[in-house]
Amino acid sequence: MTSVRNLSAVTKEGPENLAEEPSPRHTRGMRLRRLPLALAAGSALLLSACAGDAELDTLEPRGPEAETIDNLIDPLFLISFVVFFIILGLSAGVAIKNRVKGEYEDDDWPTQTHGNAKAEWAWTAVPFFGMAFIGVLTVFAVIDLNSEEANAYAVEVDGETMQWEPHVVVVGHQWWWEYRYYFDGFDVDAFLDEDHANPAKHLPPADIVTSGQMIIPAGQEIELSITSRDVIHSHWIPALNGKRDAVPGRIHPWKLEADAPGYYFGQCTEFCGLSHARMRMQTIAMNDSDFAEWVDQQTTPATLSDEDAAFIAALRAGDNPSPANSVQQGLVNIRQLCSACHLVEGVNHFDDVPEDSVDNIYKEANVGVSLRAGAAPNLTHFASRSTFAGGIFNLYNEDGSLNRNKLEAWLRNPAALKANDADNLQGMPNLGLSEDQIDDIVAALETFGTRPSATVIAETFAE
Amino acid sequence: MAEAVLDAAGHDNHGDPHAVVHKTNTGVSNNKLAMWVFLGSECLLFGGLISTYLLYRTNTQGGPEPSEEFFDIPFTSASSFVLLMSSLTMVLAHSAAGKGDIRKLKIWLLSTALLGSVFVAGQIYEFTVFVREGLGWSTSPFSSAFYALTGFHGVHVTIGIIMLLSTFISAMRGRMHPGNAETVEIVGLYWHFVDIVWVFIFTVIYLAA
Amino acid sequence: MAIIENPLELEAGDEVAQVAEKPLGVLTRPQGSTGWQSWLFTVDHKRIGIMYGVFAMFFFLIGGLEALAIRLQLAVPNGKILSPETYNQVFTMHGVTMIFLVIMPLAAAFANYLLPLQLGARDVAFPRMNALSLWVFVAGGFFLCSSLFIGGWFENVPNGGWFNYAPNSGTLFSPTKGIDFYAVGLQILGIASLVSAINLIVTCLNMRAEGMTLMKMPVLTWMLLVVQFLLLFALPVITVALFLLMFDRLWGANFFNVEMGADPLLWQHLFWIFGHPEVYILILPSFGIISEVIPVFSRKPIFGYSFMVASGIAIGFLGWGVWAHHMFVSGLGPISVAAFSVSTMFIAVPTGVKILNWVATMWGGRIQLTTAMLFAIGVVSMFTIGGLSGVTHSVAAADTQQTDTYYIVAHFHYVIFGGALLGIFSGFYFWWPKMFGYKLNEKWGKWNFWLQIVGFNLTFGPMHILGLQGMSRRIDSYDPGYGFELWNMVSSIGAFVIFTGVAIFFVNIYVSQKQAKHLPPVGPDPWDARSLEWMTASPTPEHNFDEEIVVEYQDHFWHQKWAEEEDGRVVRIAYAEDIAHDGSATDVHLPSPSYWPLVLASGLPFIGYGIIYNYWLCAIGGFLTLGAIFGWIFEHPDDPDAAHGHHDDHGDDGDSDHGTPDSDTVDTDADDAELVTASTDAGEASNG
Repeated sequence: MTSVRNLSAVTKEGPENLAEEPSPRHTRGMRLRRLPLALAAGSALLLSACAGDAELDTLEPRGPEAETIDNLIDPLFLISFVVFFIILGLSAGVAIKNRVKGEYEDDDWPTQTHGNAKAEWAWTAVPFFGMAFIGVLTVFAVIDLNSEEANAYAVEVDGETMQWEPHVVVVGHQWWWEYRYYFDGFDVDAFLDEDHANPAKHLPPADIVTSGQMIIPAGQEIELSITSRDVIHSHWIPALNGKRDAVPGRIHPWKLEADAPGYYFGQCTEFCGLSHARMRMQTIAMNDSDFAEWVDQQTTPATLSDEDAAFIAALRAGDNPSPANSVQQGLVNIRQLCSACHLVEGVNHFDDVPEDSVDNIYKEANVGVSLRAGAAPNLTHFASRSTFAGGIFNLYNEDGSLNRNKLEAWLRNPAALKANDADNLQGMPNLGLSEDQIDDIVAALETFGTRPSATVIAETFAE
Repeated sequence: MAEAVLDAAGHDNHGDPHAVVHKTNTGVSNNKLAMWVFLGSECLLFGGLISTYLLYRTNTQGGPEPSEEFFDIPFTSASSFVLLMSSLTMVLAHSAAGKGDIRKLKIWLLSTALLGSVFVAGQIYEFTVFVREGLGWSTSPFSSAFYALTGFHGVHVTIGIIMLLSTFISAMRGRMHPGNAETVEIVGLYWHFVDIVWVFIFTVIYLAA
Repeated sequence: MAIIENPLELEAGDEVAQVAEKPLGVLTRPQGSTGWQSWLFTVDHKRIGIMYGVFAMFFFLIGGLEALAIRLQLAVPNGKILSPETYNQVFTMHGVTMIFLVIMPLAAAFANYLLPLQLGARDVAFPRMNALSLWVFVAGGFFLCSSLFIGGWFENVPNGGWFNYAPNSGTLFSPTKGIDFYAVGLQILGIASLVSAINLIVTCLNMRAEGMTLMKMPVLTWMLLVVQFLLLFALPVITVALFLLMFDRLWGANFFNVEMGADPLLWQHLFWIFGHPEVYILILPSFGIISEVIPVFSRKPIFGYSFMVASGIAIGFLGWGVWAHHMFVSGLGPISVAAFSVSTMFIAVPTGVKILNWVATMWGGRIQLTTAMLFAIGVVSMFTIGGLSGVTHSVAAADTQQTDTYYIVAHFHYVIFGGALLGIFSGFYFWWPKMFGYKLNEKWGKWNFWLQIVGFNLTFGPMHILGLQGMSRRIDSYDPGYGFELWNMVSSIGAFVIFTGVAIFFVNIYVSQKQAKHLPPVGPDPWDARSLEWMTASPTPEHNFDEEIVVEYQDHFWHQKWAEEEDGRVVRIAYAEDIAHDGSATDVHLPSPSYWPLVLASGLPFIGYGIIYNYWLCAIGGFLTLGAIFGWIFEHPDDPDAAHGHHDDHGDDGDSDHGTPDSDTVDTDADDAELVTASTDAGEASNG
């Protein structure tokens, strides 16, 4: 499991920032926690295997919510094992001890006990009260997990300091996650009162829209509002909290908190169709300064160079400028080929984006409003994320270079890398791009956003 | 078996060659018990449909809403009254069967079937009106739930009518006698059940509008 | 529903006379009492039970192959055996097949075969309805499985999981015909189960032998009765859900269409209101089976009979109040979650009572470790694991970590395989001699048991760990690096061990059958058992009992063989061979076979295909179904010349075997009741 480390979101701070001390309660918990599992297989082999690197381990809490759950379940596992071994011991023990080999003899009869009311009431009552006790603890835990803590967190956006009640809107899509940040607050009730058939398609513009990776400040309780745009998904970061379903038409509250900066893996856990297995996400908790920096980058509309910005402006003005380099050619391609679904602020987030056939398929399918620029991940800060295609591929190699092969292969034929049914609006279509087009698009994509830190890139690799 | 041997109607018909004598532990004939059990299951079927309707009652997506203006309450009340009256004629048919009055049995069976048919016809008419007023099957969750619930009930009434007519025909062919009055009773059980369900549906859909 | 075929003995002379005097039927009833006809048209509850078993085992092989395909795919990271689409189809069909086409019908096999026998009855209340249940199940099963190849291999297979959550099940997200097959197929199977439930409930309540009060019924019969009530009330709920789904998919309704404002949780509620009682529908028959097996091989009566019965009923009741524990993460409010969490925990109480009562039955007993007993002990211990892991996720907070992971997969396999299926295997070994007249070989049986139990634990034990390590359910592949490799490999190896175990079961049938030719007949009561089915010859004669039984005790048959002295000693008072019926009665009137259940059932798949593909097929299906209903109505109430070759030669001792003084008169006028019945059936057929 990923150790708890300070992650620096930007390049200036190196790996020396890593703080390698798990908090004491984890060490205590871990020994206790291993015990039941060891009993489960009754072998030391199991013990060693479990100690391995399970990135999604549910028994290694890294935040208060996950800790609440863990504290509840650990003793229960222990009790369960004791009960099981009592039953197994009794049934197997009795069977072996009282065993008769061969046929029964006529006089081979034990005492004919028909029952014993006292004993039976006793073993009705003991589980009853045992369960009642667990029930009370459960009720408290459920209340705890569903309560909200009012807190404010100062965020600076465009030089203006806002009091943000840490909150992220989480939207499930086939097969990727979108995270939307509203720093001046998002009133779920008021939004639901607008009475949209499928609210996820009507979410108001957000300060930050990212996908695949949710960035949060460590040590803060983050409220989540979880919904889905198509089918039911389930959002789950095991180290931080249990899961909650993303149900289209509904917005579900949930929360999570990371004790310390770190990289936490997640996986969609509600069957959501063809590529359910390939719908992952990560939560990256940062220290306050890194988070502030990340917010600053993400709220800047486009991360284009001045020349490229001027080039886009000329394109919009209808001047037909000729691209000076591969990046500019890529921008042209993105505007022409990707705009139906992907949004890149500063590149195609304008009214003049051409209509596209993909959009029309959605219309024909009678799925409501136009899905233009929003049906697929927002690419404005694409390069600032360390994974792509629904959190399943690493955007950077271990040495920090762009994972060009994967990205090009993805553009060449997405379905070959991640099963989809693009004809049915599920997943990215094969656009039949030429190799030149792919090279140009990759060149442009690489300029969208600031690279994550070396630490984040290193943590991206599941091991 | 220790339980009393009774025919369905509870008459003492020993010596009657046509007697239907079932020896059962409960004293209720297998056929009748099966109908009771089946109706128990039907309760859950309509329970599911009514719950679905209640969930979607207000979910009209801009289409027609379940309101007094939209529903023709007097019309539906009248057809509900017709259906309730058919329960009365059903009781009369059962009583006639028990008394062995085959002529009256035929009259009341046919009346019940006719009243039921009037109800179904009223439903069909009402549906056409609703469709013309813009409440199609696919208009909204409300419309789908409305038609599913009333439609399922309508199908049940129709099946009841077929059962009544079958019994009527067998009476015409001289097959009915006090010994199998239970047949009429079983049909009656089903028919009353369908009526009672309508009382619930009428309340939930029309009166609550 | 009528009983033309009153399965009690009649005075044949009277009957012939009456049939002659009133030629009611326009069609004769089938004649064959041997060969394939005697199976296809039978209304004998025992043959129907056996056929339920045979067809269920056929589907078990299909479901098992699907399981192997899943395990092959997941044995190593990034498995390439199945494409994602095929994988989704295969795991869906594995679940649907095992639940609806294997465990439920295997329970029905035991219910059909044993329930009338244990009650001391000649047959079920409605023998033709019983045949109808069987054939509708078979029709529905083949209909569902035909989705594997109709329109091309793996083109139109259900792919939404057995739980089939909306809106993923809508045409928008699942445009193939697969989920139509699911919706229609399960409705057909629902008809079968509903008819069967009504039939068996009436049988249980009305057809018990004299003196067989409810609280003298064997625990198996009690559990089966509870199951039939669960089916009775659960099936209409899933029927509603399936109808709504079908309306949405085929005719554009808006029950689950989010774009039109529908709420997907409607499906979840309807599904789980059915789905949770369904769990008890699967497990309670097995509880009943081992409650018969353990006393016999412990030489003690069941410990706390009334607690066993009461806890079964309690499970049945509580099963209705816990469905939302499948939805702890679906976004219910915290109050619902807490309430359903606590209600779920209390199911552990009656379940715990059962487990401890089984142990107490064995306690101090004289235990013979036959294969049947081994399987029964297997259930006690393996189900305990399933039950305890169930408790761990009844804790709603913990469930948010565990649900939809392999921990749940492990849990319900310990319940359904470790509980239900092992119990059914125990039943196979126990009742095999009663059904077929020879015992299954114990040596092969032990191999079967140990391979199956070891394979089972190898397969599903590691899934607990995988789940806790965060492996999601229903994923067609996983990447290396998440710590899933080792235990998935172990699990896949275990699956093949299970497969070997099951294969040995089939080998055992073959071997035992061959060996039996050289062995003496097993006699009526090879295990020194307790309940009434052992009081007649093996295999059970067609008429079950030569004379009516008057029951005095719970475990009546045992009390005919043994007496408990005042000092607690047990002494023999009779040998089973001397008191059991030898099956020689020749004058027992039995219901005649009928063509129509089979014909009626055969119409349903056509209606199903018609709804999905072309309404003209509905016409063919409707013609078959309606024609069968008419045939049903108008066939002879009984055909005394058919099916019972021994009918003529009983004149001399005719009356002597009639136990009760007030034998039934003939119900020749039942055709009118039948007419009504048939209409009701039509209602069921069209309404689910």
